[in-house]
Amino acid sequence: MRRVAITGLGIVSCVGLGRNTFFESLLQARSGIRSVDVRFPSGPENVLMGSIDFNPDEHFAKAMLLTMDRVSQFALVAAREAMLQAGLGTGLTGLQPERFGVSVGTGSGGAGSMEAAYASLFEKKVARLRPMTVVLAMHNAMAAHLSMAFGLKGPSSTVSNACASSATAIGDAFRQIRHGYADAMLVGGSDALLNMGTIKAWQGMHTLAKPHADGPQASCRPFSSDRSGLVLSEGSAMLVLEDWDAAQRRGANILAELAGYASTTDAHHLTQPEAQGQAAAMSLALRDAGLNTSDIGYLNAHGTATDVGDVVETNAIKLVFADDVKQLAISSTKAVHGHAMGAAGAIEFAASVMSLQTGQLAPTAFLQTPDERCDLDYIPLEARRVQGLRAVMSNSFAFGGSNAVLVAKAV
Amino acid sequence: MNSDLINLFGETFGIPEEKLVPGATLESLGLDSLAVIEFLFQIEDQFNIQIPDQPSPPRTLEEMVQLVEPLMPKAQSSSPGAA
Repeated sequence: MRRVAITGLGIVSCVGLGRNTFFESLLQARSGIRSVDVRFPSGPENVLMGSIDFNPDEHFAKAMLLTMDRVSQFALVAAREAMLQAGLGTGLTGLQPERFGVSVGTGSGGAGSMEAAYASLFEKKVARLRPMTVVLAMHNAMAAHLSMAFGLKGPSSTVSNACASSATAIGDAFRQIRHGYADAMLVGGSDALLNMGTIKAWQGMHTLAKPHADGPQASCRPFSSDRSGLVLSEGSAMLVLEDWDAAQRRGANILAELAGYASTTDAHHLTQPEAQGQAAAMSLALRDAGLNTSDIGYLNAHGTATDVGDVVETNAIKLVFADDVKQLAISSTKAVHGHAMGAAGAIEFAASVMSLQTGQLAPTAFLQTPDERCDLDYIPLEARRVQGLRAVMSNSFAFGGSNAVLVAKAV
Repeated sequence: MNSDLINLFGETFGIPEEKLVPGATLESLGLDSLAVIEFLFQIEDQFNIQIPDQPSPPRTLEEMVQLVEPLMPKAQSSSPGAA
């Protein structure tokens, strides 16, 4: 089996465009969550969200934008940064295009374009929709844009596994390289779902956070006794994965090794998570990486700040790590970047890799008073610098019972 | 060529005026076939006209104008933003 190198990272998030701004925001516990006045047909409402101030004209020609939903725009901007870091910004430098693929995840694809189409149909009562509606809204549009932008002609796939989408997409691509079906993969996820229909649908689930007394930015409070739910956000993270030996041969700067991945399904309930399924995914990912629990120095938790989810994840971590849990530093960075749904796994895995590179662990922001059922070291409030970090884990758990866990090792 | 149409085209795609010459191919102006189709739809919408289906979309700026100009309402031709 081949080893898999991570050679590039790119991020578009509500706490910064670009990986360095993003990671600095995480370390500073600088939240991108705010209250936005949304003009629903039923009347205006202030909605908590991690929305991105993103001007597409700064990144794309107008002709290109006619065929690109916001979700693809995020993905391509993040991918440009990742490919540039990998030294592939101006060409594939000896890598065969047919051996370089794309694997991405999204929860909602071009949901904004679909909503615009429905609004035209039902509000404006138009007889015809924009010719580009299908190609704007289809889930695999971003994979197509990525492949065209960089000339990647290898395998291409799009995973839609709700909140585990991009972690699954990264894991699938990892296996493609490991088992020789591809030499390199552009991987990650993107979601741009802060449209009225999606917000209303989530409101209906009664899982969204309420505004906190300390201000809207402090409303997503994973593991906290006063947490009230998740905050929807948007964004993208993209990574470049390569066959380790090939990356070394071309002199690429290897950021970390993607060493293990596992996915499991709870087969239990549409929305209620289950500790056993999550624990199984963590254990299998560790085994896949050839590591023990004592090797993991940092875990980026799924930690959405829902009442049930945070407790179940805590219990799952205890099941897997047993006594080693006392040495495990954990945080949920969703407190500052919100829940980017299908992109969350990639964004949080990218944060984990940056921790591995720098030895700096992002805190769980706003964790003043932990829930007594969440009694692990969740790196409350302030970032931590650690020595000798050997491996990190990133958890992604989804509605539908999908669990995906990624493990990376230091170079 | 119809200046309203050309101006609208230039504005939509952010193309500078000096490049908007009759023989310019739409591809050379950065438009693929999908973008052309989307633009023709916008024109139909804006001027409330129906452009008949073509075996292939126009290739040059001139071909596009020749296709659309005869269909545009004369009274509105000086105010493309009316819709």
